[in-house]
Amino acid sequence: MSFLQILHGILEGFRVTALVTLLGMLYAVPFAFVAGVTQHCSKGWLRAATTAVIEFWRSTPVIILLYAFYYMLPGFGIRLPGLVVASLVLGLNIGGYGSQAVRAALQTLDRGQEEAGRALGLRPWQVLLKVELPQALVAMMPTFVNQFIQLVKGTALVSLITLDDMTFKAKEIAQLTYDPVSVYSGLLVAYFILCYPATIVGRWLEKLVGAGQRPVHDV
Amino acid sequence: MTFDLGFAASLLPVIARSLGTTLAVTVASCIGSALLGFVLEIARRTGRPMRFSMRLVIDFIRSTPVLVQLYFLYYVLPIYGVRLPALVVGVAALSTYYSGYLAEVFKAGIDGIPGGQFEAARSLGLSRPTILLRVIAPQMLHNVAAPTGTYFISVFKSTPYLAVIAVPEAFGSALDVASDTFRYAEPMVVVGALFLAIAVAFSSLLHRLERRLARAGQR
Repeated sequence: MSFLQILHGILEGFRVTALVTLLGMLYAVPFAFVAGVTQHCSKGWLRAATTAVIEFWRSTPVIILLYAFYYMLPGFGIRLPGLVVASLVLGLNIGGYGSQAVRAALQTLDRGQEEAGRALGLRPWQVLLKVELPQALVAMMPTFVNQFIQLVKGTALVSLITLDDMTFKAKEIAQLTYDPVSVYSGLLVAYFILCYPATIVGRWLEKLVGAGQRPVHDV
Repeated sequence: MTFDLGFAASLLPVIARSLGTTLAVTVASCIGSALLGFVLEIARRTGRPMRFSMRLVIDFIRSTPVLVQLYFLYYVLPIYGVRLPALVVGVAALSTYYSGYLAEVFKAGIDGIPGGQFEAARSLGLSRPTILLRVIAPQMLHNVAAPTGTYFISVFKSTPYLAVIAVPEAFGSALDVASDTFRYAEPMVVVGALFLAIAVAFSSLLHRLERRLARAGQR
């Protein structure tokens, strides 16, 4: 098989890779906002509970979460397709990281913003939705793009629970052709093509959001 | 299926024993990724052609999944006659993957050093290695300590990936128990809880370090 044929074979798994990424985003974005805002606004037991949930999803290795949920849920009578379990676990893991970007962005806002909103007679939820979140959104964009890249790369894990994504297809081809050099080079190239545009956008956003450029010193 | 507490308790010493390998892999990969990341970042600062080629190398590392990098090294190195124990391949893969991120951290750390430091060092006639190791590295270290610590915790959380190339670390030993006994719930919960507890303990230590560094910076 030529390198192009191999690359073509790998890209047959693109559908599953893309699907897990998109479904994962459906879990990640709402979870990031709800958890981040709750952690920022609440006090006492609610804050402690939110922190515990976030820490569970972001501080447990994602590969362990994936195996645990994939193999344990049926034991409790919950039968879900592998695709659903994978996007849930990967999405909430990334959402856990995203929640910290949301919280950090809200925390760095000037307190005067909230006070001015309240002084204008807005309710606390209006201040949050109309004053604080729109401003914080800019600050959290670079992190969100970086987390999106992490999610795309994280989908390679679903090959371990037998979903036929790009990594799964590559392993299949590697067994057929016994040409690991071409197959795994091709797989690296495939992920690079997917993620590199986002990497560039992420860096551009970081520059845009980051305060004043500093000169780069050669050493 | 029910969760057998007695069985779970009996697994704790079995899995805890292999934590030694997990921690050894973590320490070796942290050192490896920091050294390689520093070399990449310094190489990026040695003239224009290197700036672009090293940036591409760093972006390539950051835009491909660690699982695929692991497969690549594990299956491709032997083709070229490089036969290494799985543990060494695993450390090499984690070191490579995280060196891309640490290079970016070190870049920000070096950019944060006041420009006068470079000019002063050069006008004193110091040699390049001396400038690098005696002027830049120590000041950079203060800037990068906190984000580097975050990535070191990520290294720890990525060690379970090594189970896919049969390195006997903690997650691998949990998987062995699961496939021997056909019970997934107990080993997954035990190994997940262990990783979560250690990761949370490390992050709270890091938080304390961050606060101390912030106070030292104010003085």
